[in-house]
Amino acid sequence: MVTTTPDISPAADPAPAKPPTIKRAYPGALVVVEGIDGSGKSTQLYLLKRWLEIGGYRTHFTEWNSSPLVKSATRRGKQRRLLTPTTFSLLHAADFADRCERQIMPLLHGGYLVLADRYIYTAFARDGARGCSPHWLRNLYSFAPAPDITFYFRAPLDVAVNRILAGRPKLKYYEAGMDLGISLDRSESFRIFQERILNNYDQMVETDHFVLMDGTVRVNKLQKLMRQIVGEKISLQQFAPKKK
Amino acid sequence: MKRSNKKVLAAVPANGRPANNKSKKAAANGTPPSRFYGTPLPGVKPEELSGTLVVIEGTDGSGRSTQIYLLTEWLESQGFAVQTMGLRRSYLVGEDIDALLAENAVTPMTLALMYSTDFFDQLERRILPALRSGLVVLADRYIFTLIARAAVRGIGRDYLHGIYEIALRPDLTFWLNVRPEVAFDREFKKSQTISYWESGRDMSLSNDLFQSFIRYQSMIKREFEYLSKRHGFLELDGESSVSKVNQVLRKRIASHLGIRSTQYKPSHALSHLWR
Repeated sequence: MVTTTPDISPAADPAPAKPPTIKRAYPGALVVVEGIDGSGKSTQLYLLKRWLEIGGYRTHFTEWNSSPLVKSATRRGKQRRLLTPTTFSLLHAADFADRCERQIMPLLHGGYLVLADRYIYTAFARDGARGCSPHWLRNLYSFAPAPDITFYFRAPLDVAVNRILAGRPKLKYYEAGMDLGISLDRSESFRIFQERILNNYDQMVETDHFVLMDGTVRVNKLQKLMRQIVGEKISLQQFAPKKK
Repeated sequence: MKRSNKKVLAAVPANGRPANNKSKKAAANGTPPSRFYGTPLPGVKPEELSGTLVVIEGTDGSGRSTQIYLLTEWLESQGFAVQTMGLRRSYLVGEDIDALLAENAVTPMTLALMYSTDFFDQLERRILPALRSGLVVLADRYIFTLIARAAVRGIGRDYLHGIYEIALRPDLTFWLNVRPEVAFDREFKKSQTISYWESGRDMSLSNDLFQSFIRYQSMIKREFEYLSKRHGFLELDGESSVSKVNQVLRKRIASHLGIRSTQYKPSHALSHLWR
């Protein structure tokens, strides 16, 4: 698993920078997983993280909607169902900005391999499905650094939805997209909402250079592929433990 | 420090934005097509909004709140129902922003987005319903303060305008312009101290509080000068007396709403504001 292919990080090897490659102002790297609920992305990212951790790499894991900053507001908004598509979107953007400015950016500048479970594409797909304008959303998140790899885990709608419905006793109001008024039946609403999100994801595959991953492939086989792609696209030795 | 600026008081309609100059009759029901800057908020039908949105902008110490108290009373005496809005008053995140400001560990982008959440929560849950019911909304600050504050902290103006392009365009925007030195005097008199944020102390401009306040407010003022041109503010001399400023405000609002008489004297309850 030696890297020979285009090196995205300028710190490692400044020589062969291909034209379309985005210039990074930092030595770190960012790997992102995206996909609808039940697509298997979190499992795969967890396994990737374990692989890197066990190998002693400088890595950090971050997930969508996890900062304490907006927890109380999100809870308040969700409990009392106060959120509109716009405030829902802005609150998540504020939360992401906090994580970006205080965690992701410093880590990238400090030379970490940052793993993100969901990234700005979640907002594009989900808030877009809620009716926010794509143009407005793109601007809103334009401060976010572009990922080095975006894995898009794609499972057929039924497979993904059934995985979620089987494991969860009750879908939450916003999670099921009940605020959209699509259907009074939560499972039905969830299915239609997820379908819209899936369509939005599909439209970004080309424009945002997603690496498409088949979520129906066996877990260990898929993980092997994921590790291989990471090894090809990122020069892992720069995150490896220093030899004495 | 009190320089009397006699002639400047005339409300200056800046650039030719659709400021509804002489829409004496059209006011309450005629809805101009461009009620939003860009794409409207999801789910909003602009034609439903029959009310009027009046914005009063200006730094702390420019007399905004005083004028809003007085205008509310005057409008109510004329039979108009009034709704107000201001920064950090949303149910959703108002308190959270207070906590963030107190903690003082928040970064500029996050703070800007929390403020925009606060703004849109109020806009969607308070202002739009009021405008649908035909009320007059008096906004104690609006997107312009939010844009100016974030812009001086290094966030792109185009980015900020992009966030607020889904906001409602005010019918009238007044800017109570005061020099930073005057704002300092008034603020100090009022609270015997100068707030951390109003003096931009997070920006490390100066260790001297007075200098920091003046430099920060001057930066904000420059942003407002730019915004005033871009959005066609009605600029007023905020250093004039309360009654004079109020008179100009009443005139412009009366002409917009089709109110014939602009005579007004504050009730006993508000007479202490009439300086």
